[in-house]
Amino acid sequence: MGKKIQINKEFVDIMPQDYLDLVDNGTYESPNRGWKDFGTATELIAEHSLCAGCPESIAFRHIMASIPNPEDTVMVGSTGCTSLVFPMIAVHNIHSLFGNQNAIATGLKRALAVRFPDRVKDVIVLAGDGATVDIGLDMTLQSWFRKERFTTICFDNELYANTGGQESGLMQKGFLAKMAPVGKKFEKVRLPEIARESGCDYVAIMTASKPSLVEKVIKQAVLIAREVGPTYIQIYTPCILEIGKQSMEGLQEMRTSEAPGERFKFREFISPEAQSFLDGLAEKKKAEKLAATGATS
Amino acid sequence: MYNVAEVNAEECVAQKGCRLCIMYCPEANCIQMDTTKMVATIVESRCKGCELCVVVCDAAKHNAIKMVAR
Repeated sequence: MGKKIQINKEFVDIMPQDYLDLVDNGTYESPNRGWKDFGTATELIAEHSLCAGCPESIAFRHIMASIPNPEDTVMVGSTGCTSLVFPMIAVHNIHSLFGNQNAIATGLKRALAVRFPDRVKDVIVLAGDGATVDIGLDMTLQSWFRKERFTTICFDNELYANTGGQESGLMQKGFLAKMAPVGKKFEKVRLPEIARESGCDYVAIMTASKPSLVEKVIKQAVLIAREVGPTYIQIYTPCILEIGKQSMEGLQEMRTSEAPGERFKFREFISPEAQSFLDGLAEKKKAEKLAATGATS
Repeated sequence: MYNVAEVNAEECVAQKGCRLCIMYCPEANCIQMDTTKMVATIVESRCKGCELCVVVCDAAKHNAIKMVAR
């Protein structure tokens, strides 16, 4: 079987150099994709228009480097800063109405199963906290209740950053934003716990400060969503403009927020079914490794 | 005037396995690994000048990156 991603020979001379790089030097169909490809392979994201030093773009890079098979993945985005990046990624993607992303992903996943019954197709929803928790909470929860098999990733920046800093459900209590000067009066919505109770088989809450951890979590989430059930990841991607930080301070902000006892300390929930699936994967990998070393020695 | 990052090849410890600036740069394909010289190189046309690479490099006490005006 030939490569899935290739260029029609007649178009090679008129394609832009970035496109040729992606085909020749991209990481499609690479079995061990990960953040280690950074710097040597061409990334599946290019020249986005996010602000200088935006932590969301760090998270986006790590995620694009980690998804297990990008050539067979469709991402669903929603309105917000993430929708500025989706036109710049080299994976199939759909822009949905604000808040509709999980409903669209549901239909997409089912349609792909009918259209490509013999191929594995992953669907990944990537939206901000406004789309996931406030405007699209209905669609988000209903997709988990129905046990739809796709991954939901929430970029949690704790406010509506794209429109100037309004209060969001995931904002922490007492926080003052530019367009929410009174301060939030309620607690931050505990969506990871809600996700666990709503039927998600894998839930993780984290920041984007450790690429190896992001890679591990994304891979687990996509593989579990493929075989077991819905998965949910909440990643803290602070908006440096709205919380009054300089462009180089985003990383420190993420590290501070994941300290022990802080609100983004890494937590994950794995259901018993998902855990036995992961154990099976680990055993298979171990056996393969053993067979490989046995063959060489 | 616009500030971009510049790597001092003599100070860069990429050959010891350091990938800090490449890992944390928010721009894709911006800091590349020169695999023949084993140093990080900046693609200046993609650099937005956020200084995150300087922060992570200095925090690890390598001090190999500084901002220069273009």
